[in-house]
Amino acid sequence: MTAPIYDGAIVGATGGRQVAGPSCNDEFHCITCSDEGVPMRVEELLGTGLARCIDASDQRSDVMTGLVGDVAVGDVLLVHAGAAILQLPESEHGPGEERAA
Amino acid sequence: MKFVDEFRDAELGRMLSEQIASIVEPGRHYKIMEVCGGHTHTIYRYGVDDLLPANVELVHGPGCPVCVIPMGRVDDAIAIARNPNVIFTCFGDMMRVPGGHGTLLEAKADGADVRMVYSPLDALRIAKANPDREVVFFAIGFETTAPSTALTLMRARADGVTNFFCYCNHVTIVPPLRALLESPDLRLDGFIGPGHVCTVVGARPFEFIAREYGKPVAISGFEPVDMLQSVHMVLRQLAEGRCEIENQYTRVVPYNGNPQAFRVLSEVFELRPHFEWRGLGFIAQSALKLSEAYRDFDAECRFDVPGVRVADPKACQCGEVLKGVIRPWECKVFGTACTPEHPIGTCMVSSEGACAAYYNFGRFARTRELV
Repeated sequence: MTAPIYDGAIVGATGGRQVAGPSCNDEFHCITCSDEGVPMRVEELLGTGLARCIDASDQRSDVMTGLVGDVAVGDVLLVHAGAAILQLPESEHGPGEERAA
Repeated sequence: MKFVDEFRDAELGRMLSEQIASIVEPGRHYKIMEVCGGHTHTIYRYGVDDLLPANVELVHGPGCPVCVIPMGRVDDAIAIARNPNVIFTCFGDMMRVPGGHGTLLEAKADGADVRMVYSPLDALRIAKANPDREVVFFAIGFETTAPSTALTLMRARADGVTNFFCYCNHVTIVPPLRALLESPDLRLDGFIGPGHVCTVVGARPFEFIAREYGKPVAISGFEPVDMLQSVHMVLRQLAEGRCEIENQYTRVVPYNGNPQAFRVLSEVFELRPHFEWRGLGFIAQSALKLSEAYRDFDAECRFDVPGVRVADPKACQCGEVLKGVIRPWECKVFGTACTPEHPIGTCMVSSEGACAAYYNFGRFARTRELV
């Protein structure tokens, strides 16, 4: 077996490049095919069902929140293709420093 | 980073690898299918399959929405995009998918106004900024992506936008799985379920796999340790003679899904009677179209499309790859006539397609193995 494990972390074919799951800027990645889910922190409410959010790479985008009910500044949402599909419990996710999937 | 480092932890990976090796029966060949392009990507990117015993084979199913789009639908998209007043928007990978008459990227080079977007909301924004143009969004994806399209259309209607249209190619995951399980040329021992699809629909829709077909399922996250743990869950069920739905991705997947998403989807979409899947043929009730209430936004009602079924190129074996009958490198044109730069089949276009993922990450390991 060729173990893709070096220095205590599974790094695989990226050779340890620090990527936190797939992102829109990743040349080897497609948002919908990868079933992407990016945790983003709510920065500003933009009216009904819309919030400006920031991810772990400080990328900001407008996110539709119609699937997760009321949100407040500081909430952490799991975002796919511009829509929040889940509100993540704050106790498990410090704002803006985590990323799943 | 929380929820990243611990799921790439080498010690955990080694421990799971050893546990997996200890529960497989020597002499038995295990085939486990992952049905999400994100999982295929993780397997090749992190070399997860290299941490498995030789008799545990991961088979890549039809979980990449780009890969399952038939050529005729791409031709229809190009026909819409060539309308002079249309701005055609789509996710990046769709621009490179070949139809019978070229790609959207080639149509763009010919003068069509084709633009890449990261979400349907971006497409709606383009429509609002260009009220004298007609803006079409090429909607693809499984149940994870369909709610985003639905919310965007609801927003378009609420805002009174009349120049925004959706060319709907959303598909559903359960019917193709059933078709695969009914396929006579495929023997599978278990499934790794799609994590974020299940965030929307829950784990419940996959119960039929265990109940009716006697196959274990583990709903999985997307980091390498997630994948190893899910493989272990499936193998442990097999070793203990169980078959049920286990949720490895509990930090994100509620067993019953997102009820608000169900409401939104049922308002905006309805099931198509049938839809063609590349490599799998026509599957009943396997895709979505806009409901009667949203007919005004339906690009297929607004624009004339050829609607012609186009056969795949003879050399292309995407269908067999999607069904897991052959592995990517066993295709006749893999890595020679068909590469990510010049794809013949869809599996080589999307980075989450089995062929492209293997070409980008796995082929060097295999070269070493052969040497």
